[in-house]
Amino acid sequence: MKSARSLVPATALVLSLGLSACGPDESSPSAANVTAGGQLGPASAPLIFDRRETLYVTGASWGPASSWNPFQPGGLANATGTIGNLYEFLFGYDPQKGELIPWLAEAGTWRDANTYELKLREGLTWSDGQPLTVADVRFTFELGRKYPALWFAPMWSYLTGITAPDDRRLVLTFKDPLYQDFASNLYNLPIVPEHLWRDRSEQEITTGANERPIGSGAYRYLSHAEDRNVWQRNDQWWGIGVFGWPAPKYLVDIRTTGNNVALGLMIRGELDLSNNFLPGVPELVRRGQIKTYSPGPPYMIPADTTVLYLNTRKGPLADSAFRRALAFAIDVPTIVNRAYGGLVVAASSGGLLPSLSRYDDHEVLMRLGYTYDPGRARQLLAAAGYRDRDGDGFVEAPDGARIALEATCPNGWTDWMAAIGVIASSAQAAGIDVRTAAPDYGAWNTALEGGTFDMTLNSAAPLSLTPWTLYSQLFNHPLRAQMQSGNFGRYDSPRIFELVDALARLPAADELGIKVATARIQTLMLTELPMIPLWYNGLWAQWRDSAWTNWPTAAAGTPKTLPTIWSGFWQLGGLQTLINLKPNQ
Amino acid sequence: MTPSVPGREFLYFAWRNGKLRFGLALVLFFLGVALLGPLLTHYPPLAYLNPLGAEAPSATYWLGTTCFGQDVYTQFVLGLRAAFLVGLLGGGMATLIGMLIGFMAGYRGGLVDEVLNVLTNVVLVIPTFAVLLIAAAYLQVRSVLMECLFIGLTAWPWAARAIRAQTFSLRTRDFVDLARLSGMRPLKIVFTEIAPNMLSYLVMTFILQFGGAILMAATLDFIGLGPTNAQSLGLMMQTAVLWGALPLGAWWWFIPPGLAITAIVGALYVMNVGLDDVFNPRLRERS
Amino acid sequence: MPRYFARKLLIYALTFVLAVTIDWLIPRFMPGDPIANMLARVSVNTNAAQVMHDYYAHVFGLDLPLWRQYLNFWGRLLQGDLGISLYLFPTPVTQVIARALPYDILLLVPAILLSWFAGNRFGALAARNRWLDNVVSPVAYLFTAMPYMWLAILLAWYLGLVLGILPIAGAYAFSLHPAWSAAFGLSLLQHWFLPFLSLFLVGFGGQAIGMRNLIIYELEADYARYLEALGAPQRLVRKHAFGNAMLPQITGLALALGVVVAGALVTEVVFSYPGIGSLLLAAIQRQDYFLIQGCFLFIIIGVLLGNFIVDIAYVVLDPRTRRGMTGEPA
Repeated sequence: MKSARSLVPATALVLSLGLSACGPDESSPSAANVTAGGQLGPASAPLIFDRRETLYVTGASWGPASSWNPFQPGGLANATGTIGNLYEFLFGYDPQKGELIPWLAEAGTWRDANTYELKLREGLTWSDGQPLTVADVRFTFELGRKYPALWFAPMWSYLTGITAPDDRRLVLTFKDPLYQDFASNLYNLPIVPEHLWRDRSEQEITTGANERPIGSGAYRYLSHAEDRNVWQRNDQWWGIGVFGWPAPKYLVDIRTTGNNVALGLMIRGELDLSNNFLPGVPELVRRGQIKTYSPGPPYMIPADTTVLYLNTRKGPLADSAFRRALAFAIDVPTIVNRAYGGLVVAASSGGLLPSLSRYDDHEVLMRLGYTYDPGRARQLLAAAGYRDRDGDGFVEAPDGARIALEATCPNGWTDWMAAIGVIASSAQAAGIDVRTAAPDYGAWNTALEGGTFDMTLNSAAPLSLTPWTLYSQLFNHPLRAQMQSGNFGRYDSPRIFELVDALARLPAADELGIKVATARIQTLMLTELPMIPLWYNGLWAQWRDSAWTNWPTAAAGTPKTLPTIWSGFWQLGGLQTLINLKPNQ
Repeated sequence: MTPSVPGREFLYFAWRNGKLRFGLALVLFFLGVALLGPLLTHYPPLAYLNPLGAEAPSATYWLGTTCFGQDVYTQFVLGLRAAFLVGLLGGGMATLIGMLIGFMAGYRGGLVDEVLNVLTNVVLVIPTFAVLLIAAAYLQVRSVLMECLFIGLTAWPWAARAIRAQTFSLRTRDFVDLARLSGMRPLKIVFTEIAPNMLSYLVMTFILQFGGAILMAATLDFIGLGPTNAQSLGLMMQTAVLWGALPLGAWWWFIPPGLAITAIVGALYVMNVGLDDVFNPRLRERS
Repeated sequence: MPRYFARKLLIYALTFVLAVTIDWLIPRFMPGDPIANMLARVSVNTNAAQVMHDYYAHVFGLDLPLWRQYLNFWGRLLQGDLGISLYLFPTPVTQVIARALPYDILLLVPAILLSWFAGNRFGALAARNRWLDNVVSPVAYLFTAMPYMWLAILLAWYLGLVLGILPIAGAYAFSLHPAWSAAFGLSLLQHWFLPFLSLFLVGFGGQAIGMRNLIIYELEADYARYLEALGAPQRLVRKHAFGNAMLPQITGLALALGVVVAGALVTEVVFSYPGIGSLLLAAIQRQDYFLIQGCFLFIIIGVLLGNFIVDIAYVVLDPRTRRGMTGEPA
């Protein structure tokens, strides 16, 4: 069933070029036309993609595409668009407005505290022509009950059943539901077709490559090679009448070996949209070679929070007074302006993205927050008994122990390497001996999860519906030997864990409740400072409008959707951006 | 095999050899810059000095600044030091190991030769940067010295092969047979009879390894395996490329490190040709 | 003679087992947990991590004791199964390599062969022509002394960005769908040219210098003098010198072709060109045990094969070496 040859037409051709001159290659474009059921689809690949119909993008793939399984761990979703463009969700989410967008579902409401009712849209279809029904949704949810290795399986710890009273409605019943977790699953769980997945084994469902995927979305798989994934618009998409017609007929997602290569392609005009962290953005904007969301700093939309995790089990970092002094010592303005050239913005002390700032307790942030203030840092150190006893310019612990800390990030992550350089030098200026180290990714990740680092950068909580996403990561619990998804510094506080758990149980509609819970968490967090939110990473996005116009910008009268092809962002407005595009004629 | 040249005669011909003079002068020039250059700057290599970011060479910043406003000159002269260190220690170590293995394999032959051949092949076969990554993961922080050690431990097979072949052809010579008949121990034969007779060859092997080590270090730095706590010319090139120095117009950041490496390694090679002429009177007649 | 080859074969078999064992060990010595790294970017939910981790460890057989993993490895290897890549999960390693290898062959074999031929040709010419020597040799020295990536990046920048006449990334134009057409063939060629050129230039320099120096050595050797003294024509002397100088050059060629499977790491990184080199780097950075092992295996086979051919060539071409190699008392 798996045919390497038909999946890699490029390579097959290269080989046959080198060996013999045989007739037309039968295997090349056919892969896209044959559906899993063996029928011929309506699409056929042209030899040359028409520039006026094609959008060239880059910046999403970590490696060559190898899997189209929408349940595969995030890092392996190199075939960008599999989750979002091909497989769809019940809802999308608009981070700018902070609300769910009905997608496959027309509506969803809590009937009571333990019952959620979903209503599916009419006329939904899979790209092989089969209807998408409540049975498909139920089948997808039930997969999590059957196979604990699927990422959404834990939902079944509070979900008790899912039934379909008629062919439009689904009723989900819960026991002690984690409302916030459930809400994020609504726009993250891709729905798969029961008629094609029913007979698959556990292994195929959890780890299979799912070649030649059939989804319900706006695009369908066309081809892929080592350095690209090509998607073709699904002209039978059910959503055309609802959302509109994505302008680009072809989507060519290019994988480069580095951001500098993407920069070269951008300058040459071979790319329409780059979601890389490109060097020299201000200069490129000034020269008119690229456009960004806003024409001046910070150029980009804040997308996630970079946090300095402190190992709360190590030496002085176990002392909240020391941690607080450190927070005042870090020169965030220099990181923002020099290391990033103004591409990012300093984070609020509570760590929540601007899109969630309505939940911030500003009084708490004012009273307990921190800003760069080396004088204050020295004062705090002295007050807590940290003094320079041996005259080396760096403080020692109150018990006289030497303090020597290391700030780390993965090697090759150039912006972070520049940032830890600033962290170290500004901490040194305040009298704290901090050095930098950039171990290779594997070693860095091991130290991170095993808790052997001193302080390290990590990004937390991409654009989300709820403050819970951030705080459930920062205060991930229970503490284990290996921490895989947050709280890497192993901050142990039953009080704050309880607060986060309580937040998880609040219904999304309970704005006031969420605000109160957030205030409590922020109060504790800023008193203790077990980690230091530093800046918001941008949603790196730069484009040219020579072929496509009507990109989202901060200016009035333009779309406000997210200009990105990153995995996990299609449902946050990435697809709407494509729908809004207009060919530049 | 090159006949040995007595000391005074060597110096005479060495001085008369234009290639040797040229190569040596260039290498000494860069060595001078490496040794004295850092004394002329008081900037820390990584400090963000110039608020304007990347700027062309000027009186304040002799080789311009990086996009962070770091002083390129400071990084350059410190990187030159690292390059000479890597060449000397890394290349030197590779030559020594290559000599040891090459002499043993070439002189003893038979089973010893076969075993050493297996060893040489295994080292040749294992992709060197994979081993470095593993070492790197253990050490977390990489230093220039570690890079030297690593290059020394992996670059010797070529030298070993060449020296083995030379030893092979020497060991059947009459003077070696004579020494053997007189009951001299093998180790002594190698060091008193064979090695001196290929001294010129060993010197040239070292020079090649010196240049090779500098190029190897540059490659390692470029693919992200360079020292994590020091400056080097390869690291400069890596950062310059990652931050788009050429497309953004900051050529002064990317060109000097590569040019310096080319000049040093090229000068070493030219020196080698010159030495060859000096050591080998027959070649000398030709030029 | 048969005894000699039998012994050689045994030695090669031993080297193979040893090298493969070391290659199996190397990734396992890397501190860190490959499964954790693979799952590190799961961003949606935080609680399933442990379950998923155990599940995947089991899928890859990494929950077994080391000796079992080692035996399994040899067992599968003998069946031609190199396991499944972690980095390109769930693609089998053999498929990953088979997909990338054609690009390396198309790029490296012509680059190595052409630079070898051209280098030897110009080197031999330079050895007997003073004027050519003064032109070719400095250029050749310049190319071998250049850090390869520096040259490659300058070429890509000048020809690709400043003049804009050659592409800088990919194996063929991003606007093309692979097809049996002139446009596609031309595009392949265009994208191939810069990586090829950079490899060719550096290779050419090394070969030309090597050949020039070897021939000069041979021309000055006793036998050449002797032939000259006997009044043999220049052509004959040169023919002998060229023949003798070719021996080490052939050795070099065999060894260079042996490592083609390793790909051209830096080239692939600079030109964003598909191939095994950059895959191997990614595999190492992500601790993809199986892909690392698979790539190494092919490199080992390639290098050993190259060495073996050299050994045979030496015995056939140069009987003098035979005596020492068989370990007869000198």
